[in-house]
Amino acid sequence: MIAIFFRNLARDLVRQPLRTILTLSGVVWGTFSVVLLIALGESVGASQKKSFHGMGAGIVLLFPSRTTLPYQGFKSGKPVRITPEQAEDLMEKVPGIETLSPEFVWSRRIRYGKQEFMNTVRGVNPSFERIRNTIPAKGRFINPMDMAERRRVCFIGDVLATDLFGRDDPIGKQVLIEGLPFTVVGVMAKKEQNSNYNGQRDENCAFIPWTTFAALYGAKYVSNIILRPLDSGRSAAVTQDVKGHFSKLAGFDPKDPDAIFVWDTLEFEKQFSVFFAAFNVFLGAIGALTLLVGGVGVASIMMVVVEERTREIGIKLAVGARRRTILVQFFSETLMIMIIGGAVGFALAAGVIKLIQGIPSEEFAEFFGEPRLSALVVASTGLILLAIGAVSGYIPARNAASTNPIEALRK
Amino acid sequence: MSKAETIIELRGIKKVYQMGGHALEALSGVSLEIGRGEFVSVMGPSGSGKSTLMNIIGCLDTPTSGEYYLEGKNVAGLTFDQLSSIRNQKLGFVFQNFNLLTYATAWENVEVPLLFNGKNARRRRQRITELLEAVGLLDWKEHRPSELSGGEQQRIALARALANDPPILLADEPTGNLDSKSGEDIMGLLGGLWKEGRTIVMVTHDDRIAAHSERTIRLFDGQVA
Ligand SMILES: Nc1ncnc2c1ncn2[C@@H]1O[C@H](COP(=O)(O)OP(=O)(O)OP(=O)(O)O)[C@@H](O)[C@H]1O
Ligand SMILES: [Mg+2]
Repeated sequence: MIAIFFRNLARDLVRQPLRTILTLSGVVWGTFSVVLLIALGESVGASQKKSFHGMGAGIVLLFPSRTTLPYQGFKSGKPVRITPEQAEDLMEKVPGIETLSPEFVWSRRIRYGKQEFMNTVRGVNPSFERIRNTIPAKGRFINPMDMAERRRVCFIGDVLATDLFGRDDPIGKQVLIEGLPFTVVGVMAKKEQNSNYNGQRDENCAFIPWTTFAALYGAKYVSNIILRPLDSGRSAAVTQDVKGHFSKLAGFDPKDPDAIFVWDTLEFEKQFSVFFAAFNVFLGAIGALTLLVGGVGVASIMMVVVEERTREIGIKLAVGARRRTILVQFFSETLMIMIIGGAVGFALAAGVIKLIQGIPSEEFAEFFGEPRLSALVVASTGLILLAIGAVSGYIPARNAASTNPIEALRK
Repeated sequence: MSKAETIIELRGIKKVYQMGGHALEALSGVSLEIGRGEFVSVMGPSGSGKSTLMNIIGCLDTPTSGEYYLEGKNVAGLTFDQLSSIRNQKLGFVFQNFNLLTYATAWENVEVPLLFNGKNARRRRQRITELLEAVGLLDWKEHRPSELSGGEQQRIALARALANDPPILLADEPTGNLDSKSGEDIMGLLGGLWKEGRTIVMVTHDDRIAAHSERTIRLFDGQVA
């Protein structure tokens, strides 16, 4: 019985190839555009948030560099040198800073058992954890005791942890950094990070107390300072005060624009959020337009189909079809078309998404993120499809089957 | 034929179409009786309400007021599905414009009323063969309506109307779209069906076609003249 039902259904669909193909292509196009749009919109939104917070939210990076103006008898080009003590002293000397950490950044050989890598080692203080979101998945970050006692402890990125230890638990194990043993006290939780500076991404780094770094390697001057202002709106003013303070200490013209190179992610964010707001409006407009065009396309196809279909319903009613027979037939036909069309549309969209993921450009990836067929995409497209199916296929059939046969025959 | 048994009885049937603001009375109180086995033709000028009347008799449309008794049963009290099974088994309807399913073959068109009557595959095959043979189109069974002449299409429609062997055959200008030769073929078939004992009600404009019937009902301005 069910087999006969499906055979008749398939036959009906095949018997009317033009109608079936028109309706199918409408559904395929609708699904395709909706899936792609939702997937892209979602991934762009996600990549936007990710790139803001992967590196740390609302932070200012200061890179001591070289003077570009002559100052107090020195020619331009003199290196600007800042010690980690001077950096930490900023908390006292310059108001408006919530927290900061100096950073030494060197490449070091890191070894455990037979595994050895040349990775970035960062000498930092405990504040680094909060500024850069290096949250421990296991163990802990560097603490004030480590700092004071210049302990040989390290906190390692999640990727480095797997590279060195595989599936073993690294906590409490000893790694060799340039031949000297360090105890692993923590492993970073996985995080998304699309922007970076100086060396590898956090997932590949080992973090040690800067006091230990200085003592072991003889490092005197910081690679950079990372700080977070109390009031994100005042980051430019705070940065200016910090530069003024250092100009006296390190001997450079306070007006020298490049003696300390500044990367203010707050300023960056402000510009970007304007850009992304505009982009979202643009994407929304395109989405609305696509839906409109797709919807009008599907609707006009359905108009043609419904008219022909109404006559068919009239004929069937005239020769004795029950209302339920008609409804079951048209409902399953519509459903079949929706399922097939939806599947094809999904497959096409998935293919295009694969293509997008395959685009080798990093900028592209950073901008579009990773479009995926997420649960949200599948659910919302499914709902939209169902709505289109109900409106365009079922409702006209129900209306046609609810009147006198002669009304349907007049069409 | 004797009029011992009334099979179709109309009492004061009115049909009013609402057209925008004003109402158009297509039928203004039609009463008539048709006996079992009668061959009745309905004539009248264009717009006099012949098709409206036929659609009501065929249970394709409902009157605005009045009563319709089919085999003594009041049709007004029936549900949609009960009317469907009357159309399926009691009445065969032949339209002026054939109303065949354009995408289906001759065979499949004749099969439709049998499917709705729940006949199994073997009995359907048997019946369709019989019907197509009776209208002389068994060799055309795989043809679509677009591949058939008007006369052939009307014969397929006639075969479909007879699918479940209904006692009543209704035909609204069955020869209206046909040349006179095809028209005579159809009339020959109808005549044969009448002789088998079926009740036939047929609308026509043509006196020669009407001459095949026993009795003519004349409509004028929505009333029996
Ligand atoms: N659906 C409708 N809506 C409004 N008016 C209608 C409708 N169907 C028929 N009429 C009107 O009802 C009247 C009777 O129409 P009907 O089709 O019954 O006439 P007829 O006798 O069959 O004419 P013909 O010989 O041209 O087929 C006409 O005036 C027609 O315009
Ligand atoms: Mg008419």
